[in-house]
Amino acid sequence: MYNAGMQGSKPRTPYHEFYADDFTPRDHYRLLWDHIRATGNNALEAKAHESQLALQAEGVTFTVYGESEEGIERIWPFDLIPRIITAPEWVKIESGLKQRVRALNLFLGDLYGDQKIIKDGVIPPELIYQGRDFRREIVGIVPPRGIYTHVSGIDIIRDEKGEFLILEDNLRTPSGVSYMIENRVIERRILPEFFNKYRVRRVEHYPSLLLAALRALSPRGAANAEIVLLTPGIYNSAYFEHTFLAKEMGVELAEGRDMVTVNDIVYLKTTTGLQRVDVIYRRIDDDFLDPLVFRSDSSLGIAGVINAWRAGNVAIVNAPGSGIADDKAVYPYVPDIIRYYLGQEPILNNVPTYQMTNVKDREYVFDNMERMVIKAVSESGGYGMLMGPSSTPALRKEFVDLVQENPRNYIAQPVVYLSRHVCYMDGELEARHLDLRPYVIYGDDIEVVPGGLTRVALRKGSLVVNSSQGGGSKDTWVLAE
Amino acid sequence: MRYIIEHETILEYPQGVREHHVELRLAPRSDGHQRVISCVIESEPTAERASYTDYFGNRVDYFCVIPLHNRLVTRLRSEVETLKENPFNFEAVTPAQEDLWLCDAVLRSPPLNDFILHRSLLTLPVIKLAEILRCAVPKPDRSRPLLESLLELLAWVPTVLEYRSGTTEVHGALTTAVQQGSGVCQDFAHLFITVARSWGIPARYVMGYLDPGISAEDEKLATHAWAEALVPGAGWIGFDATHNLLANDHYVAVAVGRDSYDAAPQRGSFKGDFSGEQPTVTVTMQEQ
Repeated sequence: MYNAGMQGSKPRTPYHEFYADDFTPRDHYRLLWDHIRATGNNALEAKAHESQLALQAEGVTFTVYGESEEGIERIWPFDLIPRIITAPEWVKIESGLKQRVRALNLFLGDLYGDQKIIKDGVIPPELIYQGRDFRREIVGIVPPRGIYTHVSGIDIIRDEKGEFLILEDNLRTPSGVSYMIENRVIERRILPEFFNKYRVRRVEHYPSLLLAALRALSPRGAANAEIVLLTPGIYNSAYFEHTFLAKEMGVELAEGRDMVTVNDIVYLKTTTGLQRVDVIYRRIDDDFLDPLVFRSDSSLGIAGVINAWRAGNVAIVNAPGSGIADDKAVYPYVPDIIRYYLGQEPILNNVPTYQMTNVKDREYVFDNMERMVIKAVSESGGYGMLMGPSSTPALRKEFVDLVQENPRNYIAQPVVYLSRHVCYMDGELEARHLDLRPYVIYGDDIEVVPGGLTRVALRKGSLVVNSSQGGGSKDTWVLAE
Repeated sequence: MRYIIEHETILEYPQGVREHHVELRLAPRSDGHQRVISCVIESEPTAERASYTDYFGNRVDYFCVIPLHNRLVTRLRSEVETLKENPFNFEAVTPAQEDLWLCDAVLRSPPLNDFILHRSLLTLPVIKLAEILRCAVPKPDRSRPLLESLLELLAWVPTVLEYRSGTTEVHGALTTAVQQGSGVCQDFAHLFITVARSWGIPARYVMGYLDPGISAEDEKLATHAWAEALVPGAGWIGFDATHNLLANDHYVAVAVGRDSYDAAPQRGSFKGDFSGEQPTVTVTMQEQ
C-alpha cells in the first residue's frame, strides 16, 4: 500500500477548524466569534450551565465500560460551541459518502454471490476467508434490492492540510445518531438566535428517514409494516439510543426473548397474542442474532430468524454479514473497491494504512511505533487499539507480540493529527481535536443527513474521540449556502 | 451398492423445553458418486418442515416445535446407491502440473480457500501440532504424485492416534486427542485435514455412514467421519484415516464442511432447562 519512509519527521500542526490564524477566525465562524467576544465568558458559562441542566433533564446518557462488567451510566458530554461545515465542504463529503456506500453495498452483494472481485484478483481471498465477519451462513441469500447497509455511520477526519479523509466505515450497528439529534435540540435552545443568522440545515428528520427506509422493506408492503427495534437490553452502552429511536419512530422496542419464529415467520409476543413482525432494525451483532445459526450460546437473539430472512418473510437491518465490508483489514482496499464497481476515482481518500500481513509494512511499523496507531480489525469504539505517541514501552512490546501472533487481525496507520476546534472547557476557550460521523441512509436512494456527530477528545492533546474512551461532542452545523 | 439407512435421534428433557428450533443435516448427498433413491425425514412431535442448501452444498432440513415438550425424536430413512467402486480410477496429472491444477481450481472457485485456510480448535495450525507431538509432521514429496504423499499421511494418522471410543467429546479440541494419543473417527479426520491443509491442499470434513461389514469398530453403529482432499485430476477423494482406507462404494456421504461443527447432523436451540443428558442415537445400515 504505502512505501516505508513516507513519514517526514518535521513537527506537524493540526488544521484549525475555527481560526484561520492566531488572530482571525475563518469567515464562516466570524458571526459566532464576534458574539462570543461581545458577550464574554460569563455568558458562555451561563449557557454551558443551561446545556448541562437540559441534558440532565432529558436524561441523555451513555454507558462506559471499564474494568468492571457492569458499566457506568454518564450524562452525555456536550460542548456548546458548534462545529460549522460550509456548503461547498459538505458537497464533497456528501458525494464522497454516497459513492463509498454504493460501492460497499455492491461489494457485499458480490462477496455473498459470485465473488467476481476475488476471481479478478482485486481482493486477496485470505482477506475474506480469514475475516471474522464473513458470514458463510448467508451466502446465496439476496436481500431486497441488494441493499445490505441501510444505516451507515462513517467516520471522517481532517488532516493537517484540511483535507477530509475517511477513517473508518461503520456498517454493522453504528450508534450515536440520537446524540446528533439531542445535541441539536440543546443547541437550538441555548443559541436560538444563530439558527436564523446561519441557515443551518436540519438533522431532526433522521428518525422519519429511517422509518421510511424500514417501512419500504416490509414483505407485506409499507402500509402494513410491523417494525421492531431489537436491542440487547438495558446493559448495552447504546441502550439510550435504542429507546430514543424506538420512541421517535413509534416502533416497538424489544429483546430477543420477546420474539419467536414459527415456521419462518417472526412474531412479537404481546399481551393480546402473537403479532407478525415484518422488519427488524437490530442493534445486536451478527454473532448474537440467531443462536441456531451463529453463536449457539446467545440468549439475545431470535432462533430461526435467519431462516425466516432467507424465506423472505422478514427484513433485517442492517443485513447480516455486512460487517466484512467494514473490517479494518478490508478498509485499505476500499479505494480499489470503488474503482472496481463504479469505475470512478474515490472522492474522499483513506488514511494511509499499513497491513500487518505485509512483512515490509510490519517491520516499518515496529520501527516507528511511537508515530503509529495500531488497531485490531474487528474491534470498534477505540477498544483493542494502541496510540503510539502516548504508549509505554511495555504496551508497545505487548502489541508487537499480538501483531506477530495474528497479523491478519491488525492494521496500522500513521498518527493523523486530527483537526482542532475551540471548546469551552472550565471557563476557558481551549483547542481540542475532533472528528465527524455523518449518517447515511440507503433507502430508495442514498441520503446523507446534513450534519453528524462531531466527537471531541476532551483531554488536552488527546487524539482519541470515542465516547467510550472519554470523548465529548458538539452540535454540527452544515450550512445551506 | 445399495443401502437402506435408518438414523434415529431421541432427545429427552425431563424439565420440558419450548420454542425448539432444529436443523438437520441428515439427507445423503446426491453427486457423481452416489444417488439418493429415497429419503424420508420425520419428527415427533410432528412439525412442518422446510429445507435449504447451505454454503457447503449440504441439504438442511429444519423445523420447530413451539409448545412445551419433554422429548424430541427425529428419524431418517433413506435408500442410497453408491457408485464409486474404485477411487483410483481417474486420469492423473503429472507431478509438475499438480500445483497449477490446484491453483486453477482455487482461482475458479474462491470458496475452496476455506478448505485450505480454515484453522480452529478442531483443525489446528500445524505448528501447534508439531509442538504437541514433539516430532515432525509429514511433508509432501513434490517429485511424486500428491496422492502418494496423501496415502502416506493416511497411514501416519493411526500411528499418532489409537481408536478408543469415549475418550474425546463431540467437536472436542484436536489437542486433547493428540495429547492423549487416542480419539474417535472425528479426531482422525481432523488430524488428516490439519496436515493436508498445511501442504496447501484443500481438505474437508465428511460426515456419513460406513458399511458395518467394513467397520473395524467393534461397537454400536453410528455416523462415521472421514476427510476429503482435492486431488489433482480426480477432484475430491475420501481418506478414511480411522481405517487407513480410501472411501469407495461402502461409504455414504451426508454432509461436508470445514470441520465437524459445520457437518453436524443435528443442531438445535430451545428455551428451558437442559439437564445435559446425551441424545440416544440409533443407526442401522443394510445392504440391499
